[in-house]
Amino acid sequence: MHMADALVSPPVAAVAGVAAASLLVVATRKVAKSQRTDIIPLMGVMGAFVFAAQMINFSIPGTGSSGHIIGGILLAAFLGPWAAYLTLCSVLIIQCLVFADGGLMALGCNMINMAAVSTLIGYPLLYKPLVKYPISTARIMAASVLACVLSLEGGALLVSAETVASGITALPLGKFLMFMLPIHLAIGICEGVATGLVIAFVQRYNASLLSGAVDAGTHKTSPRRKQVLWGFGIAALVLAVAFTWIASANPDGLEWSIEKVAGVAELAPAQAPATAFMPDYESHFAGIVGGVLVMITLWAVTMLMFRRRRQASAQRIK
Amino acid sequence: MSIQRALITLNSLENGDRGLAVDSRFQVIVTVMYLVAVLSVPLADPGMLVWMFVYPIVMAEASGTGYGRVLVKSLWVLPLATVIGIFNPILDHTPAWHIWSVTVSAGWVTFISICLRGVLAVQAVLVLVYSTGFYTICTAMQRMGLPAVLTTQLLMVYRYISVLLQESLSMSRARAARGFGCSSYPLRLWGMMVGQLLLRSVERARRVHNAMLARGFDGALPAPEPKGLRAADWIYLAGWIAAFALLRFIDISGIFGNIIDPAS
Repeated sequence: MHMADALVSPPVAAVAGVAAASLLVVATRKVAKSQRTDIIPLMGVMGAFVFAAQMINFSIPGTGSSGHIIGGILLAAFLGPWAAYLTLCSVLIIQCLVFADGGLMALGCNMINMAAVSTLIGYPLLYKPLVKYPISTARIMAASVLACVLSLEGGALLVSAETVASGITALPLGKFLMFMLPIHLAIGICEGVATGLVIAFVQRYNASLLSGAVDAGTHKTSPRRKQVLWGFGIAALVLAVAFTWIASANPDGLEWSIEKVAGVAELAPAQAPATAFMPDYESHFAGIVGGVLVMITLWAVTMLMFRRRRQASAQRIK
Repeated sequence: MSIQRALITLNSLENGDRGLAVDSRFQVIVTVMYLVAVLSVPLADPGMLVWMFVYPIVMAEASGTGYGRVLVKSLWVLPLATVIGIFNPILDHTPAWHIWSVTVSAGWVTFISICLRGVLAVQAVLVLVYSTGFYTICTAMQRMGLPAVLTTQLLMVYRYISVLLQESLSMSRARAARGFGCSSYPLRLWGMMVGQLLLRSVERARRVHNAMLARGFDGALPAPEPKGLRAADWIYLAGWIAAFALLRFIDISGIFGNIIDPAS
């Protein structure tokens, strides 16, 4: 579900970035205020754990394919929602910078779609109310599946909205959702079952690990949930206002793709020059070919210029 | 990605190429400016994107990373770009380019743009990380005002990824040796294995925390010492921003095309 930079326009990236960053600020304040002194190393190791767990694939029954977890609900069950959001954001930043998985400009979008939806909506609204004492495996499994399905579907909805609002795809939002939502329903169920199995295992062998998040929740459920809802309400408002602004101010936005698809219904004849947005392209095409040749030459020249530096760094690696 | 491949990537970054002596904050700013320039190019104009390759080529070679390595790694983004972009040629048949006798539809033009954007954006990030290193980027972000809790946490996750990857690799190997050729895990077994890994991780976090407390940890890692900016840093910043503005606002492909082929 990682969005690449190719799929977002700068205004959409900026809006999502601001929303994700404001949630990050709230999360860092909450964690800094936390009474638990071991929260930072625990978050660090749990973030690394999610990363390692993602590398171990499980087989999906009946399909012959395999999958891995995303880990939002799992982290929230152990760390609480805000610490889990912060941890998952760190994992996303590392995936982006170190493994080139998801873009730097799309980081805000990915934080909202993958981290915020699961830890700040799926966990407090579905998982936590459903997993109450006496905790049973069936409860844990049901809560995990429901929370994961909600998180994945919410994330898929946002991915589709952001891609369409960026004016990248000619597919209208409705069709895009018909393509994204069923796939993510299936992924959500698998993620939920996998998450439930891990939580149930830990519940059986070391229940005190889970009690931290559950206890903290039972003491002050309502004010915390209120804060979460407030935070999300504001973020949603910012997103809604910004998307409307983008759609109306930017012809490359929503209207662009709607117009494009509306045009498909009555296909333009191949020789209609009036609709062509750059009819005389021969000289421009020659420019592009020339550009590619210039870039190849530039590569060769810079390679020769900086040959020594490269040899030095190769020796350092050895 | 396999566990081994992830470990190799992490190790290569640890021994990374640090050929560039420019302030890391400016490198982060230049990367962001570059991404804004690349992503704001209209999809109808892939010609402009071709010239944007100047930045990754020059920076990859100047930092000693080698552009070939960056290019090969950036191609991994193409399948994702294809999945999203392939609807454009299918849905949008508006004729866009007439190149001699061939008519190219707008859908294909935007599809090419999406692929180029994807590759360029990944290359910019790879150039940043290879030439700067993850630790330096984190400290640069802290100096730019990112909360210490976040950067400390980021460095801790980064530090423990390789440790836990080693652990999951040894668990996977032990299981594979006894698995009679089964390559992936049934869900129940997977749950037990990952649960075990989680218990071990939390135990490790406890030991780490005790060790950190014993060494005077007070909630955040100490901030790096501020370094002064040199003239070279400012020239680097101004030079690249001017170059991006030039590449973004002047239609070099068009001018170049007219020089090569003035008849059309």
